[in-house]
Amino acid sequence: MPARAASVRAALAKRGASRHESLLRVAGARYLWVALGLSALALIAYLADRSTPVANGGTWLGYTLGTTAALLIVWLMLLGIRKRSYASRLGTVQGWASAHVYLGTALIPIALLHAGFRVGWNVHTLLLVLMFLVIGSGFFGVFAYLRYPAFMTRNRDGASRDAMLQRIADIDQRALTTADRIDPKLHAIVLRSIARTRLGGKGLLSELRARDGSVAAITQIREAIVERQTVLAMPAQPVQAPAAGQTMFAMVDYLAHSQDDTSIGNLRSLIDLLAQKHELARRIVRDVQLQALLELWLYVHVPLSFALLAALIAHIVAVFFYW
Amino acid sequence: MRWLLRRVIRKAGNEVNVADSTIDAEALTIGRATDQSICINDIRVAQRHARITVSGRGRYRVEALSAAGVRINGEVGQGATVAIGAVIEIGPVTLKPIKVSGYDAALEQTDSAPSIEFSTAASAGKHRPSKRLWAWVGFVAVLVFALLVPMAMHYQPALRVLPLPGTTAWSPGTLDAAHQGIAADCTRCHTQTFARTTEAGCHECHQSVHAHADAERFGLPALNMDRCGGCHEEHRGVHGLRFANATSLCSDCHRSLQDTTSGVSKLANASDFGRDHGEFRLQMPVVAADGQLQAETMQWNVDLIEHSGLKFNHQKHLVAGGLETPNGPRKLECINCHQIEPGGARMQPIAFERDCHDCHKLSFDPIEPEREVVHGRVAEVVYTLNGHYAKRALEGGYAQSSAPAPVQQRRRPGSPPLPVAQKQQALEWARDKARGVAESLFTGQACVTCHTVTAPTTENPDYVIAPVRVAGSWYSAALFNHLKHASMLCVDCHARAPQSASASDLLIPGIATCRTCHQSVVHKRGVVASDCTLCHVYHGSTTQAVTEKAAVSP
Repeated sequence: MPARAASVRAALAKRGASRHESLLRVAGARYLWVALGLSALALIAYLADRSTPVANGGTWLGYTLGTTAALLIVWLMLLGIRKRSYASRLGTVQGWASAHVYLGTALIPIALLHAGFRVGWNVHTLLLVLMFLVIGSGFFGVFAYLRYPAFMTRNRDGASRDAMLQRIADIDQRALTTADRIDPKLHAIVLRSIARTRLGGKGLLSELRARDGSVAAITQIREAIVERQTVLAMPAQPVQAPAAGQTMFAMVDYLAHSQDDTSIGNLRSLIDLLAQKHELARRIVRDVQLQALLELWLYVHVPLSFALLAALIAHIVAVFFYW
Repeated sequence: MRWLLRRVIRKAGNEVNVADSTIDAEALTIGRATDQSICINDIRVAQRHARITVSGRGRYRVEALSAAGVRINGEVGQGATVAIGAVIEIGPVTLKPIKVSGYDAALEQTDSAPSIEFSTAASAGKHRPSKRLWAWVGFVAVLVFALLVPMAMHYQPALRVLPLPGTTAWSPGTLDAAHQGIAADCTRCHTQTFARTTEAGCHECHQSVHAHADAERFGLPALNMDRCGGCHEEHRGVHGLRFANATSLCSDCHRSLQDTTSGVSKLANASDFGRDHGEFRLQMPVVAADGQLQAETMQWNVDLIEHSGLKFNHQKHLVAGGLETPNGPRKLECINCHQIEPGGARMQPIAFERDCHDCHKLSFDPIEPEREVVHGRVAEVVYTLNGHYAKRALEGGYAQSSAPAPVQQRRRPGSPPLPVAQKQQALEWARDKARGVAESLFTGQACVTCHTVTAPTTENPDYVIAPVRVAGSWYSAALFNHLKHASMLCVDCHARAPQSASASDLLIPGIATCRTCHQSVVHKRGVVASDCTLCHVYHGSTTQAVTEKAAVSP
């Protein structure tokens, strides 16, 4: 039944297409047109209105635009509830998110027209500023959602973060065993470095900074080796110790020339392990960093939107308090 | 020294086993080596990792023997003195000093999972600020400072001294310059909460406001609107109360005023100065039945005859080559006679003494040319002439051949008095002379030059000068100001003046002249945007008042 197979393929292709649909293209960017229509309507009404010499929120058009903007803000904030209501059948969350982005953007022209482009040092402009901050952070959120997931996938290279952490734990165990075979001092260094390795760290800043402490261990091991050679009164070799910050390969070269006892083999494998760990740690830290970037804007967007809600209440009450 | 080591072993289902052991040692050693007091067989622990000694009552000294250090209360270090309750972490083991009687020292040992864990990595994203907390902080802070604090200050004026945002933080825009003085106290205008401002607040200060027009007479109940804010919107900037576009407010009614007032209004429809405004109606002086001048409103027309009661030839005075005057040649300009009054609105009336007298002397006696009669008072002129010639006649020495001898004859001091007959002859001459000179002044050479003079008749024995109107308000309903037009030349508007040979020429311009510069506010290049209030006053009714103190004629 080639016809049926074709139709199934087409249906699958269609479903596949919709599954990977970007936030901005939900339902053929339906809400883009809704937002554009709403903005155009507001602009035309604003330009046509001749009821007052100085455009302001107190005319009938002003009240209409203000009510529209207020209802929009309340609805936009309902996304936080809708996305937690898994059982809700009131449209898809993706549709809500798409409408959230477009209608949130339409709030800019509507609010500006409501204000008649007038600003000052008052609670009304505070509301406007908070609104711009919330919308601006939302724009960054859209940018992050469109960009960072792809970066994360590439950085993880097929492995999950837990798998990478498991491998690091593995490497640590082996590194400790290897170091212990060489010298208790080396063991202490590796142990210390494990204890001090920070993957992600505590707090947003260290997550964003994306530093792990795994290079420090290698540097310290090199210092320990030099010290150990001195103690063992090894014949002086015309070999330059690699300067801090040089690569692992330089380190291995250095060891190869040092003509040490059998623990050279162990040392090499220890450094190999630490290099692997360093590579893994780098990926994890980058993964944590990307995750932080992906979530960061929400820490601005959500609290500020509640401040915005308070400012909205203050604005409406104040305006009618002194009508 | 007796140490108690209490090992806590957690089992599945919250079950906890406790195994106590006693160690006799000066110091407790911890490490992977078998000779250690606490032997921890874990690669994360050095052979000899740490040593714990008692440093005081309930106090312990922890020293790391390995460079890896010991984690004490979460901080990795080489040693520290700790008290009961501290957490000492070495590899998978956690040690806590506890208090147990009967022992010199006691430690509780808990083993964690044997694998190496990275709490930091696993908890990525968990050490974030709480969105919920900051949402509450933001919400409450804004609500308090933007709404509740100002509201409290409204109800409790004593709080207004606090350095916190007050009700002025609600002000949606700068107040008009006129209201800046009361800007700090919102309740001056906002007398009630949750209600629109009323006229009551305005009338506290604005006590003499005139109405626009009689609402009943014109059948326009909308004119009774007593809420000032309906038109005067505040918080619109320093010049906010000046209407940026009054035209639309006015033209709502005035566009079809004849219809809306059912023809009661005498005003023509107007909606736009540049395109929809009738020709000006001016206050023309006309001669009434009693011979006096009175103003009559009529539509401007270039052919209108002005009745100023004067004779004046502008052309003759403004002749290009200048005039021969008693003080030498002189070229006259408009401003030599027409001067703006101090307010700038109108021209000062022409004053004979200031504007004409330099050339037009009121001398009457060629023998004494410096002696003049007064201007403007007919009776006084006659009196002056009579007195002058009587004095001349009685003093004698008046060198005129037509005079009788006693008048011509010079009399010296100490001369005997004139005989009665000669006195009478002299005074008769004086009376005739005065009458003749008066006639000459009034109807021949002086007054009649500019004025219309009626000679004495049997009913009216006095000379009569026709009433004069040399200045006044031509457009009484308009706010014209000469000073504001000082950048213009006089002839830009009064174009016919230099060529006018007669005072009956109407030199006041009509609407077309104004429109060369002034157009409506609909922006047009090269014109002065002019709305209704540029020339007209809204609260201009002379018969209707808004507030009690406005003086009106019933």
